[in-house]
Amino acid sequence: MASVSTSCLRFQPLLWQSNNTCQAAQRTSLKLVSVSWARSGFPSLRATRFRVSCAANPLTMQKVCDIVRKQLVLSPETQLTPETKFSELGADSLGTVEIVMGLEEEFDINVEEESSQNITTVKDAADLIDKLVQKKAEAGT
Amino acid sequence: MFPSLLRAYSPMKMRCCFQRSICSASSSLVPVQLPSPMETHFWYVLPDQVKSVSLLNQYMGLLSPIEKENVLSMPGHQLQKRALLARALVRTTIARYQINGHVDPRSLKFKKNIHGKPEVVWQSEDGWCQPHLHFNISHSSSMIACGVTSNSRIGIDVEEKQRKIKNNVLAFARRYFSLHEMEYLSSISDSEVQHQEFIKLWTLKEAYVKALGKGFSAAPFKTFTVQVKTDSKRSFVLAEDLVFEASEIMVESLNDPKSLTSSWQFALLELAGSHYAAICMEKDKSIKVGMKVPVRLTAWKTIPFVEDECVSGTDAVMPIGGLIKL
Repeated sequence: MASVSTSCLRFQPLLWQSNNTCQAAQRTSLKLVSVSWARSGFPSLRATRFRVSCAANPLTMQKVCDIVRKQLVLSPETQLTPETKFSELGADSLGTVEIVMGLEEEFDINVEEESSQNITTVKDAADLIDKLVQKKAEAGT
Repeated sequence: MFPSLLRAYSPMKMRCCFQRSICSASSSLVPVQLPSPMETHFWYVLPDQVKSVSLLNQYMGLLSPIEKENVLSMPGHQLQKRALLARALVRTTIARYQINGHVDPRSLKFKKNIHGKPEVVWQSEDGWCQPHLHFNISHSSSMIACGVTSNSRIGIDVEEKQRKIKNNVLAFARRYFSLHEMEYLSSISDSEVQHQEFIKLWTLKEAYVKALGKGFSAAPFKTFTVQVKTDSKRSFVLAEDLVFEASEIMVESLNDPKSLTSSWQFALLELAGSHYAAICMEKDKSIKVGMKVPVRLTAWKTIPFVEDECVSGTDAVMPIGGLIKL
């Protein structure tokens, strides 16, 4: 039985063909969710964990990029992709904390320090924001 | 010139360059004795002073394949140069201490501890004990620094004095610093002084967390207070050594008052007139609780393979916090 935690799933045909699923998933810039399958249904995939993809909120991604550009005073030519690491943009620890603070203000959320340590890429930030915004909406605050 | 050279760097070229440079590497790095207990060696390089393309090429030859890849993956010349200088500084600095007879900076291997703090992997041969050399690096856009101790955990942080803070300083402090620190900053009316005190506090807190070596989340900034007591501000001569007592710097954990925060010692410096540098090191175990022992500091401004200038005792190194012996 599959258990998935989002309602939006897209199965890539490639995933069924190989055990090396990470490669396929990483080629896309979409959010990843782990799915584990029970033994009975699919003998060839028994006890295999593999990833399916879900679209991240493009609006969140855009806002994150805008804030990062502003905080780090990036030149317009600097390319920002979801996989871009903050450290690669010249952000040191103070710079990264400033980015997180800018994001907190923009999205009206609170990022715990434990979580902020795991934000290394633009995508990490966007994913965390989406999660926190959703949690906040669910809590009704 | 510089970026195209780096991009054209093929494995063949790297080997040739390395072979040419190994002789100069071992002859141009001045060996240094390991620091003694409660002593810190502080090495720093100013990227703006390193312009020679062949020198940067030489540094490139010291790096491991992964380090080279990391450097080249940085977007832009300045970031690549900074990343390159950081690795070159660490490798050449540690090589100077000639542990186990090693002089080749290229042969050093590094790993990360369980929490991600970089450490040297010493190839232990039969009969050699593991040396207790500890190091920590920090970089701002215009300075890269490496602190070295023996037998004592160390963390350092350097920041430009004039570094622009995008957010409001007090809002930042309210969000990330402890209540005590925020109140201290709020009490400062001059915004320029407030900005400088903020930067100093940041470097001290960052140096402490890096010294602990357990990652940001093990000691979130809000859970500990760094206190700077400015009752005494004097310098005096103690048996030929110049000792500065600018202020007493202490750290206190808010969550766990029993934690051994008294086992940490701080030094705060103004470097080259442009940067604040904080050093946090573990007190030597032989020192009794409550004993005030200064941090002995020797500082060098370096361009590895070119020149080392000992700057402790000059205007380039001004103690502004902690008990420091130069």
